Amino acid sequence: MMDLIKELKSLVSVVELKDIVNTENLNADKIKENVKKKFENTKEGLENLKLDNVKTWITYGDTEVGKLYNGKMTNRRREWRGVKSTLIDFKGWCGIWKDMLAFSAGSPRIPLGFLEYRWMASYLTVPSFVDRNTIGLRGPQLEIAHLHFRKVLKAGEDNITTLIKNDQKLGASVEASKKIVLFDEMMMIQIMCGFPNLIGLPYQLMPVFLLSEIDQLSCTYYIDAIESFGLPSETCPVPTSEAGAAVVDAYPKVGCCFISSSMPCDGSIMASSYQSRRFKVPTFHLTLPVRFKDGDTDKVAAQEIKNCIKFIEEQTGEKFDWDAYFTCMKRWNKETAMELEKWDINKTDYPQITGPSYELFRKYSYQMEGARDPEWYDLYCKVNKIMHEAYEKKTMCSRGMNYRAITWSCPAHYYANFSVWAEACWGINVVIDMENMNYTEFMSEDDPEQAYLDLAKLYERMTMRKHTNGGYANTLDELWRVVEEFNIDLVFMYQHVACKTMAGLQGLFDEQARERGVKLIWIEHDLMDPRTVSRRSMRDKVNSYMINVMRAEPVDASLMDYDDADTW
Amino acid sequence: MRDLKHLIYFENLLESANNELVQQAKADGKIAVGYTCYHMPEVLLDMDNCFSVRMRAPMTGSLDISTYYMSNYTCEFCRALLERTIEGGMNFLDAIAGIDACAEMNRCMENIELQNCIPNKKFFVTHADIPFKIEPHTIEHYATQIRNRVLNRLMDIYGVDTSDDAIRKAVTQHNEVCEIISEIGDMRKADNPVITGYEFHVLNLVSYTCPKYLIIDKLRETLQEVKTREPDVKPPYRARIMMIGSEIDDLDFTKLVEDSGALIVVDRFCFGSIPGREPISLNDEEDLVLQICRHYATTSQCPRYMSDEKVEERRVVADRLFREYNADGIIYEGLKFCDFWGFERALASHIQAEEYNHPVLSLDRPYQTFSSGQLRTRVQAFVESLEIKKIQAKGVK
Repeated sequence: MMDLIKELKSLVSVVELKDIVNTENLNADKIKENVKKKFENTKEGLENLKLDNVKTWITYGDTEVGKLYNGKMTNRRREWRGVKSTLIDFKGWCGIWKDMLAFSAGSPRIPLGFLEYRWMASYLTVPSFVDRNTIGLRGPQLEIAHLHFRKVLKAGEDNITTLIKNDQKLGASVEASKKIVLFDEMMMIQIMCGFPNLIGLPYQLMPVFLLSEIDQLSCTYYIDAIESFGLPSETCPVPTSEAGAAVVDAYPKVGCCFISSSMPCDGSIMASSYQSRRFKVPTFHLTLPVRFKDGDTDKVAAQEIKNCIKFIEEQTGEKFDWDAYFTCMKRWNKETAMELEKWDINKTDYPQITGPSYELFRKYSYQMEGARDPEWYDLYCKVNKIMHEAYEKKTMCSRGMNYRAITWSCPAHYYANFSVWAEACWGINVVIDMENMNYTEFMSEDDPEQAYLDLAKLYERMTMRKHTNGGYANTLDELWRVVEEFNIDLVFMYQHVACKTMAGLQGLFDEQARERGVKLIWIEHDLMDPRTVSRRSMRDKVNSYMINVMRAEPVDASLMDYDDADTW
Repeated sequence: MRDLKHLIYFENLLESANNELVQQAKADGKIAVGYTCYHMPEVLLDMDNCFSVRMRAPMTGSLDISTYYMSNYTCEFCRALLERTIEGGMNFLDAIAGIDACAEMNRCMENIELQNCIPNKKFFVTHADIPFKIEPHTIEHYATQIRNRVLNRLMDIYGVDTSDDAIRKAVTQHNEVCEIISEIGDMRKADNPVITGYEFHVLNLVSYTCPKYLIIDKLRETLQEVKTREPDVKPPYRARIMMIGSEIDDLDFTKLVEDSGALIVVDRFCFGSIPGREPISLNDEEDLVLQICRHYATTSQCPRYMSDEKVEERRVVADRLFREYNADGIIYEGLKFCDFWGFERALASHIQAEEYNHPVLSLDRPYQTFSSGQLRTRVQAFVESLEIKKIQAKGVK
């Protein structure tokens, strides 16, 4: 019988095999009975099976996606997702290339930028990034992922265009920079809603932050440079890379002033001195309270926002436009309401938007867009429409929906697609991510004094900072609350080795999880440096837990182990 | 030089956080308040029936339990404090006044709090938010935090008198200690100082870790003793060093540096005297807590201050101290895994070497040095390089 199963394994996917042998109740008699029933006439049965397989392949697509990886930079071929989904994928793929071509032709300085800045070349691999982040997706989920990614990447391309077009190193005038206000990449951009005539640019976002998600090895160059300069190797790779990029002069010379910030953590505070020294533009350090949960920090926080606005006004000669600001906030509140709808759907048995596109879109919505662009609002509406329709039909969000998971703590940039891998390989649906659980209170739409406070609260509770700052309750107690609210089976507990705020609570997470019976999978990573912990090692952590603790069967066993160290 | 009369007594006091003077103060019915950061105004913890104890974990051995709780990627000082607290070594504390300045120390204190390490029903841990830059609204915020999260809690829980009179009394006592330490510290400016860096470190540490009202007599006596002390005819050191960096309460480290032929003339590190032992001057117009907070913020040289003027000030102050104390070189040191000093050390050491032309050694070190051969070799090599520079400079003349 084992030979038969072996033979069948070569013909059918593990999931189909699971149906046949029903591994959940592994019992020799039962297996024999099932096999007998399925293949009464073995020869004929096998032929039928082959035919079924072909049909499945045409309609559903690849069921062994891991086989597409060959250990090289590019895959053997693109994933076949069945006719319908491949068309969705192809449409998305064409859209990405269309945007990229438009971006390349956006300014005569763009080709010069490719010669001047090594990081720009990594953006040519954007289609591969989207492929990685959509493995195994089908139907509405694939469509939503493409919509999300295309919007984020388009905004990224626009940012690069602004950077390069106005780069004084490439011949642009100082005059051209006078309307550009640079922001620390981790900050949200909402403050610029009141300056519709200015351009707010998350400065390090394209040369460092988003880059590391597109190309896993891109930031190692910065890290090595700054460590050669004398920085210890144990600091967080985000500020380390930012400081390294300053040292190797990877930033275009643009902007009339810089809004630096103390957020989200100690490393960010310290990287600012490297950047101020390099950028040589007037800098405002927006420093918001760390212990922000109690009301006695609100006053100073609101004052900081006021001072920041005043600084921008002084540097640019523009006046803060409250009408423009409140128009954007009305839009932002609607977007927030739609985000909360996604959470509500994901709390049900039929979550619709899972994995990285969900988290990345919301994160960049905070960092790059901040409700300034009505097109983003349209996209929110479109995505929610697709989501509601799919939910009504009780659409499965993935081929296997075996476990509901949450990712907690700082994710690995070089493995942005980790959660989509877990979904495709093990049927683990990441229904919520710490990174998209930022500030979700509604902002004032008409009161300027309240608006200062709202902005302060929004910035205090920015990506990551909402949980890693302000006391243990924001991350420790909050996790248990979210686990209950979203009915979570598994927690992917990222252990970013250089993140001291989370490392300091490691034992308490472990202890309290045991007390509450919550299953935590600790997954080490080094955020932007895959040389410390590779993607494969991260996968091994999950594989090992699922096999040894959960006694689970993979949905796609081919994805359990493959070599992607050399790819982007 | 002849040994200081009370040196062994002081050294013995530093062998345990719960030393004999702390025990005596507790027996007197005083409230022990632990703290770790310069930004927690020490003087306000010495009010009325309270006394401050700057927390240390001397004789630290294994860090196994705290490493489980805080991972092996966090600062050893924080882990050592947690380990010692879990072991029961901090049971004498009635409160910990924390500052949310450094994430790692904050987590250490949260662990102490959540694990209920200290068996005292009234015991509490508080965390105050402090500014990143000095502006009127940030100093006001600092004062509000200290009032709300420290003074009010001490008053509510232990009935501590936090009136202006009590504050002024505490400041008077604090200033006397600061004046004694500063006067001794200034003697390091001499060509052949009558006090070594090690001895000064011991004196300064006891002033941080013992109840002031119990230690002040011996400090006064030591000042008189040092004033009349005869230095060795031939200075025992080969190079004068300015030490800048993160927390040092490890006397072995100071000893290691001085055994390598250096003399530490400037202690510009956490638990040092610059800043730390500047007397506080108060006016009659402004709120006292506000004035005290402003004093700590403006004298602080902590790299956490990120505004450009503070960043620049740190470089200028280092240069000024270098010249004022006639130093030959700078050692920038940082505890391993300290983000603040990791970043600051790399950039500041580069700037002091390249822009100010000061010889610099950049070191990262564990919390407890013991007898690290690697560190000793690096310091020895640095001292030799400074000697060679001096010889070369003489040759040029």
